[in-house]
Amino acid sequence: MNTITAPAIEYLQLAPLLIVFGAGILGVLVEAFAPRYLRRAMHIPLTLLSLAGAFALVIVQTIKGVPTKPSAMGAVAVDGPTLFIWGTILVLAFISLLLLNDEDHFVPAASAVPGSAEEERALIEGNVHTEVYPLALFAIGGMLLFPASNDLLIMFVALEVMSLPLYLLCGLARRRRLLSQESAMKYFLLGAFSSAFFLYGTALLYGYAGSVDLAKISTALSANVGQDALLFTGAALLGVGLLFKIGAAPFQAWKPDVYQGAPTPVTALMASGTLVAAFGALLRVFWVAIGELDWDWSPIMWGVAILTMVVGAILAITQTDIKRMLAYSSIAHAGFLLVGVVAIGDAKQNATALAAILFYLAVYGIASIGAFAIVTMVRDAGGEAWHLSRWAGLGKRSPKLAGLFAFFLLAFAGIPLTSGFFGKYAVFQAAVAGGAVQLVVVGVVASAVAAFFYVRVIVLMFFNDPAPDGPTVVLPSWGTASVVGFAALATVVLGVFPQPVLDLAQSAAGSLFVR
Amino acid sequence: MHVVYPAVVAALLFSIGVYGVLARRNTILVLMSVELMLNAVNLNLVTFDVWLRDQLHGGQVLTLFVIVIAAAEVGIGLAIVLAVFRNRQSIDLDRLRDLFEPPNSSDPDGSQPAATKVTTGVGPE
Amino acid sequence: MELYAPILVLAVLAAGFAVFSVSVAPFTGPKRWNRAKLDAYECGIEPTPQPVGGGRFPLKYMITAMLFIVFDIEIIFLYPWAVAFDQLGVFGLIEMVLFIVTVLVAYAYVWRRRGLDWD
Repeated sequence: MNTITAPAIEYLQLAPLLIVFGAGILGVLVEAFAPRYLRRAMHIPLTLLSLAGAFALVIVQTIKGVPTKPSAMGAVAVDGPTLFIWGTILVLAFISLLLLNDEDHFVPAASAVPGSAEEERALIEGNVHTEVYPLALFAIGGMLLFPASNDLLIMFVALEVMSLPLYLLCGLARRRRLLSQESAMKYFLLGAFSSAFFLYGTALLYGYAGSVDLAKISTALSANVGQDALLFTGAALLGVGLLFKIGAAPFQAWKPDVYQGAPTPVTALMASGTLVAAFGALLRVFWVAIGELDWDWSPIMWGVAILTMVVGAILAITQTDIKRMLAYSSIAHAGFLLVGVVAIGDAKQNATALAAILFYLAVYGIASIGAFAIVTMVRDAGGEAWHLSRWAGLGKRSPKLAGLFAFFLLAFAGIPLTSGFFGKYAVFQAAVAGGAVQLVVVGVVASAVAAFFYVRVIVLMFFNDPAPDGPTVVLPSWGTASVVGFAALATVVLGVFPQPVLDLAQSAAGSLFVR
Repeated sequence: MHVVYPAVVAALLFSIGVYGVLARRNTILVLMSVELMLNAVNLNLVTFDVWLRDQLHGGQVLTLFVIVIAAAEVGIGLAIVLAVFRNRQSIDLDRLRDLFEPPNSSDPDGSQPAATKVTTGVGPE
Repeated sequence: MELYAPILVLAVLAAGFAVFSVSVAPFTGPKRWNRAKLDAYECGIEPTPQPVGGGRFPLKYMITAMLFIVFDIEIIFLYPWAVAFDQLGVFGLIEMVLFIVTVLVAYAYVWRRRGLDWD
């Protein structure tokens, strides 16, 4: 009889995770026992303080020194890249939550039919679904765990913990309810479908390597045991599941629908946090577990990267919905980031590419939250002014807001003096050093195409006449205003002085992923 | 028993699930097909666990996690289906077409999906 | 064979209890006639006649069923612990208590939100 020993858990290293999940559970207790009028007042400090606390712990951990081996018996890897990603996600989550905090984004009673008596009553009573706070916390906890997971079991659990609350949050928009619920349904079905692929890949890799531990899969590769059919099928299916989460073509179909339908703060959280988390997990699987196989997977990844950039950039041109356009822009950016994933080589090359990806993720996440925050402020009678034509002439009516939006779009396009420029530059430079010159050429062309539709929106805002019954710009709450302010400031500062954050990313990436 | 038999059965089950997701138009049946895919994975995991004589039974443990998460997924999925059904009186996937690529990009009024009129939200319609 | 002895004992006990309950009940319990009691048992719904396709179910069934399934399946995590609890010692006990507390929090939410009320 073999004996099982109690595992050693490094609680301090996992503390950021534990705080976020703990706050989520406390949030459920608040929902259960606090009277209705107190709930929001309790949720806001609980949520924001827990995120801030987790961020502080990440900093403490970074100063204390990065652990050199995985914690919790090899299940969770708290290494340099993980700490950087955690810091990024926590900042992005914090500002997304400030945005989410505006109460009029969410439906008063999710189960009521729009326009029904039930809903009237909920509105009059001033009901709000304060469950969004614990749900968001659980999703954020999943986002933290996803890129840190060092075995496929934890990765799957994290994937679901991240996705399940997001499915629900997508369906809770106050306005354009049918669209919101439809987006939740589509996201759910496609997400469940893709996680089944992820799992089947996991099962096959388990059959190949005899373990779901990423390091052990890697060892099994070099020992060349097991059957190649299992390995290749497993890796491909796992890749499908992960590429779905980052929205890479040909698995991008959910992204525009979901981004369009979901409440805009939730879209902001998904566009930033989920993308960062999913890229972390993708890198860990492809570089740690099957990094030795790069000769086999990088041609496919080349194809996926090219397809993603081209599809994202070209389809964005035809969009008339502002959120849909930003979704396609997010697809294109996922493609640019994949260029960095392909640039795998020796340890030094890997560190350069990893640092570039980490920096790109951070700056893109912040800029996209800023852009979505502005989308929440431009309103028509029936909610956000979603149609691009409604944005015509916005620059003449509220030049400050339009100017900020134009600035975020320029950051997406990668114009110098914005943070996006350095992000793109770093990734493309790493890819050139990694020998992927052709890919970078495609990337630059796709960036040019993407710049076209960003500039088109800017031209629309500043050089077209405003419609007589154009949308109004609501006075932002302190939360939304500070989100926009922070995002704009970060985009400027990182566009002028990127060095501190670049250095941070480089030192985080220097140690690479632990095995 | 050779490991190939259960592995092939699992692959077939998984393929049936994939077919169901792609071919079915009823949301509940699509959900069931996804569950079938997950159960195919479970079968595979248990098979490999026995085949590899895994000392720590990693495969079986992962199976337990899959079962639990599948249950959570169904709970959330049915809740979303229910919300959609209440608003539309239908769970036909083909009729969920409000989120779409607008056919004509330069026509701001004509291309508005019908749903925006219905669900401008709260208040009297 | 010795390995299976406890299972046999359990089976005998279970069968004995079942037979005992069923055979003793008619002699000891009160008898009140009710038409519903004579219906075929179908999880609490009217057996016949039903509209084509079974008709619509009240939502209450679905919520109760989902709650049952979710809480029922959470317990699955107790099985691996039951297999190895003596080897895991206090650590395993604490972890399981934490897990059950987490499930209880969800239960408290359902209870306070009247998810368990039938009407």
